[in-house]
Formats: sequence, structure tokens, C-alpha cells
Amino acid sequence: MSYLSISHVTKQFGDTVVVDDFNLDIEKGEFVSFLGPSGCGKTTTLRMVAGFEIPTAGKILLDGADITDKAPNQRNVGMIFQSYALFPNMTVAQNIGFGLSVRKESKEMVAQRVDEMISLINLEKHALKYPYQLSGGQQQRVSLARALAIHPQVLLLDEPLSALDAKIRVSLRAEIRAIQKKLGITAIFVTHDQEEALSISDRIVVMNSGLMEQVGTPFEIYNFPTTVFSANFVGSLNNASAEVVDPALSLISIDGVQFESAVDLKERKKGDKVRVAIRPERLSFASEQKKANVVDSIIENITFLGSVVRIRVKIGNTKFNMDTFNNPFLDLPKIGAVEQVTCSREAVLVLDE
Amino acid sequence: MTTSPASATVTVKRPVVRNRLVSWLIFGVVSLYFLIPLAATFYWSLRGMKDVLGFEAYRKLFADTNFLPAFSQSIVNAVATIFLSLLIVVPTAYWVTLRLPKLRPVVEFITLLPFVIPAVVLVFGIIRLYSAPPLLFTATYNSSRIVLIFVYVCLSFPYMFRSVDNGLRAIDVRTLTEAAQSLGANWGTILFRVIFPNLRVALLSGALLTFAIVIGELTIALYMAQHTLGPYMSDLTRSKVYEPSAMAIVAFAITWAAMGIIDFVGRGATRHVQMVEAD
Ligand SMILES: Nc1ncnc2c1ncn2[C@@H]1O[C@H](COP(=O)(O)OP(=O)(O)OP(=O)(O)O)[C@@H](O)[C@H]1O
Ligand SMILES: [Mg+2]
Repeated sequence: MSYLSISHVTKQFGDTVVVDDFNLDIEKGEFVSFLGPSGCGKTTTLRMVAGFEIPTAGKILLDGADITDKAPNQRNVGMIFQSYALFPNMTVAQNIGFGLSVRKESKEMVAQRVDEMISLINLEKHALKYPYQLSGGQQQRVSLARALAIHPQVLLLDEPLSALDAKIRVSLRAEIRAIQKKLGITAIFVTHDQEEALSISDRIVVMNSGLMEQVGTPFEIYNFPTTVFSANFVGSLNNASAEVVDPALSLISIDGVQFESAVDLKERKKGDKVRVAIRPERLSFASEQKKANVVDSIIENITFLGSVVRIRVKIGNTKFNMDTFNNPFLDLPKIGAVEQVTCSREAVLVLDE
Repeated sequence: MTTSPASATVTVKRPVVRNRLVSWLIFGVVSLYFLIPLAATFYWSLRGMKDVLGFEAYRKLFADTNFLPAFSQSIVNAVATIFLSLLIVVPTAYWVTLRLPKLRPVVEFITLLPFVIPAVVLVFGIIRLYSAPPLLFTATYNSSRIVLIFVYVCLSFPYMFRSVDNGLRAIDVRTLTEAAQSLGANWGTILFRVIFPNLRVALLSGALLTFAIVIGELTIALYMAQHTLGPYMSDLTRSKVYEPSAMAIVAFAITWAAMGIIDFVGRGATRHVQMVEAD
């Protein structure tokens, strides 16, 4: 039996279904991200776990207990908000101690736990400051400490990094992950930033307009997307419509150019329309040894992106992006030149149209 | 190279200086509007003795055995009004902001009713309603006084609601409430430890306005036969020459002093709470 179980949860506001039959089992100590575009129901799902919304249907079990209808202050759940939500009238120490003093813990116990938390987030020098005297990153760390101080069973984070600038965002997400691992706490992290989700999570739930598209490890989600949506949403992607040529040999054709895929196509028939997806970094210029999937292409454009050089090539009538790592000795072709490009059979993903 | 920043600062500075001058000018004119009547009243109050300026009028005023009781009664009424008004308005405004934002215009309109209904109309309505059984609340002086305080609470609504509403808009009520809830706080704790302390300035300005209204209120107190400051002052104006001016100055000074004390106590209290909790 899993630690947190969200089963067949549906949420409607009036007539609109915002979360549709959400099913997820989370193990103790697991870090799960909800990833999806704006308005897809990530926050709503999280708020149902926190108790701020009650599901229209379905159940939420935490450590075996049904918490579906429990009031938020009766659940032992820590919540982190995008806007930090620190109490402006309290110092850092008082903010962190709030949950414990509400629970009527002894003064010594509160003080000890507050000290512990403050050193966990490295803000010893700021214990007596007020929130307005801290930077955004520091405030979010205080709010993390405040949520953790009460030993929550689950930590819920709703886009906690969105209000911060890029550098802090990266360092704080590493810090959050390190603390989560150290304490072995179960966490749900909401984000619409795919890089964030890929780098921080044990598992990712890709969501799209209230539905779960795919659940899997970052590795699975990135390398083996099962739907067009999750393939497009996570990472950048070339995709083209194609036709099955030979189901037995997994041969498909994009505008008459044949590709061989590692995906089993036996379920499909010759002539079926499918969607083919290839990640830009899986395409490369062909060297002599390669045999599978070597095709002619015309170089259309070359864009320098820092560590990566993005080359736009035309295969048949379809344009593809091809990414290659930058290095000073890179031998780049001329625009308009015809070059052979290739990709492995595994790189050719076949998804439903 | 060295001249260009200098000339830049000059061109930037000049409008600022002119703006400031205009601001001070407006401030000065508006101040005169307040200060001239005040100064005139003060001057008049000093002429209690023939041909000499002195505090004779003040001496007579304080010697009057009716003055201090009326004054203290008004202050007690004001404090009770503020207390009740806060207890009604803050939770209401908080709940409306949090859960019933659509009802805000309705609640706002209700709180504005005291502006729409003239005091005379209000007091006759109250007397008609509450001076006959089964709602006979005006039988004794003290029971009437309680009715009076509740009427004052209603009169304070427009000011109190506006101040509190402004204060609530300045903080993120919903997120703070949810943060507190997820930390285990119940409604009482949220109100008294999170909402009230963050509304300090707003509550103070609401309280100040309420205090000023109650101290100076005449019509309703008069018709309800209450011996508060308003009726006392109107009596005095009819029978004495210099004492009313002295009285106005005293009332003015004490009102401001009282507000100063509320402000000081309010500030001290929050600081004290914070220090105790930090220990
Ligand atoms: N209280 C509510 N009443 C009505 N509709 C709501 C309510 N809360 C959310 N919604 C709707 O539900 C949908 C999902 O909202 P939700 O906040 O869960 O999205 P999200 O995935 O968190 O998006 P974002 O990335 O923008 O935060 C939205 O279309 C939103 O308008
Ligand atoms: Mg959201």
C-alpha cells in the first residue's frame, strides 16, 4: 500500500471539469512533480491534497487514513506558496515557530526546533529579521523551514521558484531537493518548467487540461514519451506526420523518405497515419559506419546557442532541428549544402496522430 | 564631460524644487483653514477675565461639577464603541474578502447607510422602536446608554469598514490564511495572530475616526437624554460666553492625546508580543 494515494479524484467547478479521474500512488520519501501548461489543474490537484478544495469524486488516502474531507488544519501537510506567504508581522524565528506554537508545544521545544530549522536553511544571521528585510530566495527558504518545522507527512510546493530569478531558481531547487532527501520527506512539486521537473523529481506526472498524460521517471518521460502532448511539452522536439510502410520491419515514411524505428508497429497496418517524433540532439551528420536511417538533407540555417549549435535541415519537405554540442573545432557545413544526416532506430518515436 | 552631468542634475532638479514649493504652498493654505479657527477659539478662551489674557475660563470649566462626568462618560462610550465595532467589522470584512467577494458591494452599501439616514431620523426611529414593550430598552438611563453605544457602533461602520477593507486589500489575505491553516491554525488563531496584527494601522485609523465621532456626537445623545459631552457643550454654549471656547480647546487636546495613547499602546503591545514570542 502506498503512502499517499490519490484515487479517481475528479474536481468540477460548476460545469467545468478541472481535474478528471486523477490516479496516483506516491511512496514514502518520493519526490513527485506535476508538470503541465497553465490551467491544466496542477494547483487544484495539490489543493485537494492540502484540503483547500474538496474533490467532487474520488478519495485521498494518507498513510492509510482517508483525508478526503478533512479540514486543512487537521491534516499534517506542509504547503509552500509561490508568493512565500510569510506572516509580515512576525520575525523569521516566529514564522518558523508558528505551527508549533499553534500546537501548544512548550517554549523550549519550539525554540529548539526553530534553531534546528534555521540552521537547516542557513539563515542563522537573519533569525530576528522581518520578512520584508529578506530577499525572495531567503523568504522562500524561511517558508520551507516553516512548513518543515511541524514534521508534515507530505510537503506540497506550488511553483515555489517561479517568482525568483534564474540563478536563485537553480540553486534553490537543488537545496530543496537536498533537504527533501536528507529528511526523507514525501513531496509534491508543481511546476510548468520542464527543466525544473526533470532535474528535481523521482517521478513526473505530465498533465494536460485536467487529464494525466503520462507518469514516469524523468528519464522515461524524456526518452520515451507516450503521447504527442508529453513529447512536445517536455524538451524540444521535431515532429512530422508519417505513414506506416512496413509494420513488420517498423518502417515508416516521412514525405517519401524512409525511416526505421525501434518501436513495435505490428499493431498497425500499412498506410496508417502516425506522428513521428525525433529529439534534435538525436540527429547527427552521418559518418561512414552508420547504415540505418541515413538520409539526405539540405542545410537551411545554423543558429549558435552557446553550448549547443542548432542546425535546421530539410528532409524531404519537412524541416528538422538538429542539435550538436559546440566546440571550437566544429566543422560546420555551408547553408544550402546537401549533407547526409542520421539517427538511431531508437530515436524515431512513433506516436498516435 | 564634467559639465553634462551637472547640467543634467540642474534640469532634473528644478521641477522637483518647484513641485515641492507648490506642495508646501497648498499645505500652508490648507493648514490655515484649520489653524485660524483654532487659534481664534484659543484666543477667545483666554479672555475669561476682563482686559487680561488668562486661563480663567478653563478654571471655571473644570470647577463645573457636570463637566468631568460628561467627559468621562463620552470617553467610555467611545472606547466601548470602538471595541464592539472592531469585533463586528473585522471578522465580517475578513470573511467577505476571503469567501464572499461577490457580496462586497452589498456589505459596503449597508455600512454606508448611516450616511444616508440623517441622525434625527435615526434617533426617532430608535426611540419609537425601543421605548415600548416588547423592546423597552430605554426605561433607565443605563439601558438607554447601552442602546446609544450600539447606535454609535452603527455610525462607526462606514469609517471602520473602509479602513479595515483597505487594510485587508494591502495584504494577501487568502494565501496568509491558507498558510496559517496548513500550519494547523483555527479561525480564532488566524484572526488574532495573523489578521489583526497585520491590520494595525488600518484598525487605528478606524478607531481614531470612531473616537472623534463619538466624542462630538450631539443629536442622538440629546434625544436619548444622555449626559455626554455633546449635550453638555451645547448647554454651555447657550449659557456661557468664554467657557465653550475653553471646552472646545480641551476636547480637542484630549481627543488627540487619547489617540496618541491608543497609537502608543498599540505599537508597544505588538512590539511586546513579538519580543515575548521571540524568546
Ligand atoms: N475556485 C475556482 N472556481 C472556478 N474555476 C477555478 C477555480 N480554481 C481554479 N479554477 C479553474 O480551474 C482550472 C485549473 O486551475 P489550476 O489553478 O489548477 O491550474 P494550474 O495548472 O495550477 O495553472 P497555473 O500553471 O496557471 O498555476 C483553470 O481553468 C481555472 O480557471
Ligand atoms: Mg497553479
